[in-house]
Amino acid sequence: MAANAADVTSRAGSSEVLLKVEDVELRFGGVRALRGVSFEIRRGEIFSIIGPNGAGKSSMLNCINGFYHPTSGTITYKGQPRKAMRPYVTASQGVARTFQNIALFKGMSTLDNIMTGRHLKTKATLLENAFWFGRAKREEMEHRKFCEEIIDFLNLQHVRKTPVGTLPYGLQKRVELGRALAAEPELLLLDEPMAGMNLEEKQDMARFVLDVNDEFGMTICLIEHDMGVVMDLSDRIVVLDHGEMIGQGTPAEVSNDPKVIEAYLGVQEEGEA
Amino acid sequence: MIYRESGQFKKSYAADQAILPLRQDQVFLIGALLVAFLVIPMVASNYVMNALLLPFLIYALAAIGLNLLVGYCGQISLGTGGFMAVGAFAAWNLATRTELPMPVVFLLAGLITAGTGVLFGLPALRIKGFYLAVTTLAAQFFLIWLLQRPWFNNYSPTGVISAPEVNMFGWVVDSVTDRYYLALIILVVMALLAKNIVRSSTGRKWMAIRDMDVAAEIIGIRPMATKLKAFAVSSFFVGIAGVLWGFLYLGQLEAEAFNIYVSFDVLFMIIIGGLGSILGSILGAAFVVLVPIFLNVVPSAIGLPLSTAMISYVEIFIFGSLIIFFLIVEPHGMARLWSIIKQKLRLWPFPY
Repeated sequence: MAANAADVTSRAGSSEVLLKVEDVELRFGGVRALRGVSFEIRRGEIFSIIGPNGAGKSSMLNCINGFYHPTSGTITYKGQPRKAMRPYVTASQGVARTFQNIALFKGMSTLDNIMTGRHLKTKATLLENAFWFGRAKREEMEHRKFCEEIIDFLNLQHVRKTPVGTLPYGLQKRVELGRALAAEPELLLLDEPMAGMNLEEKQDMARFVLDVNDEFGMTICLIEHDMGVVMDLSDRIVVLDHGEMIGQGTPAEVSNDPKVIEAYLGVQEEGEA
Repeated sequence: MIYRESGQFKKSYAADQAILPLRQDQVFLIGALLVAFLVIPMVASNYVMNALLLPFLIYALAAIGLNLLVGYCGQISLGTGGFMAVGAFAAWNLATRTELPMPVVFLLAGLITAGTGVLFGLPALRIKGFYLAVTTLAAQFFLIWLLQRPWFNNYSPTGVISAPEVNMFGWVVDSVTDRYYLALIILVVMALLAKNIVRSSTGRKWMAIRDMDVAAEIIGIRPMATKLKAFAVSSFFVGIAGVLWGFLYLGQLEAEAFNIYVSFDVLFMIIIGGLGSILGSILGAAFVVLVPIFLNVVPSAIGLPLSTAMISYVEIFIFGSLIIFFLIVEPHGMARLWSIIKQKLRLWPFPY
């Protein structure tokens, strides 16, 4: 698997800002899902968005990859400010994501799902496909090779040709990660990649996330509820609550921030140890 | 035991991604083609070829076309008959009004149908499911109405026009056997093209849109372009089937021959045969064409002759109950049953 950002060296991240969110507000009628949220994601880091349920984390991801359009405020990606944008355009600029509730192509095999994720790299036309000549055949083999590397990386060999609808939950999450990786994105958005997993599966997934960041230099933006995972993996964290940003910084800074503790980690009640 | 894959190792991705990676399947396909090309023309009577095999081949082509749209891309269409009519009338007008050679006429008729399909596929960008079905139903009635305008049959007083001579690169397709061969060749070639499309990136895009359009868009698939491409390709196949239906099977054209019942028949074929399967389209076509014949022959053979009216009712009963059966029990149709048989044959006759 060719690293697409070989210039990035360490997982601590460089200082180059990949994505900048400035004063973003998102309103659905009277509901303000996001209010004045600003943060930066730097190239090569693992960035986490945390917050209680309904804090606006998924809305933030949806804004980043073009599902929702911020009511006001700007999102700057690779130095280019953008407003309304269709998700497929965002994808072509190198943003991939996974979903909280798995969104795989259930009728297709693991291999086909990952191959579909490779779609942006294919150039063969319909006629070439139909007659199976030229680029169609050549690309198919090249992409198959690449996808087999992802399959090896994620340990999915045994379910290569199984329809994903029949796979257990943990494996489906992994296939979804594989599909996102197949696009060789620069920014990978993971919406609760470990939700509903047992400890062992979580450990596996955490290792995959670290490896993706380490070996391929992908920048990762992560939403996760498991505090242990977030604190261990992230370089920097932003905390949302009721659509507002209440804290930002390194794991150590965030976990000592009284506002964050109050909103999310929980206030120590009197009488408790 | 019979259908064993052990010992057949794939040493390259190309071998693994072949259309038929297993030797047994290859042997089976070659056998089927040999029967179709050599044995059937020798043994089948003219009646069987004309009344049974020709409609089967042409319906199979239309079913493949519709299956690309419905089974692979998940867009419902009830306008198959209308699109077949567009193909047939486009070809007739091109053949009688211009001097173009017949293969070009076929190709252009397919492309014109593809264009029509794209036009009537435009609502699919906005609506899904039932509502899309209704708009394609409107397409069916509108197209048939349009093609009944006198210009399209060159002001023929009866409204019925006869098909021109089909001359393929100097081969005058006239006898029943010739027509059988032409339909068979076109079906085999186009089935291969369809198979190539669905196993390549285009097919995966269609299936992605079918399975989860939101996720498809997230990985960079443009929903509009992909759906319209499916409408175009599907209509091309259906259009060619329409040309064959008019020129080879009916021999004369009138728009009413492509009414809504044709659309339903083709839809039944892909539901019974298997949504999302090229083989299923062919099996479904065989089934839908064979059942009426079966009902004609078998009851009288066992001493229970049915009246013609009764046969057509029983036919509707059978299709109706089969469709319900397949939708509930086996949504992947006969194609799935076929793969279950193959699974069983891996072990048979041993218990495990």
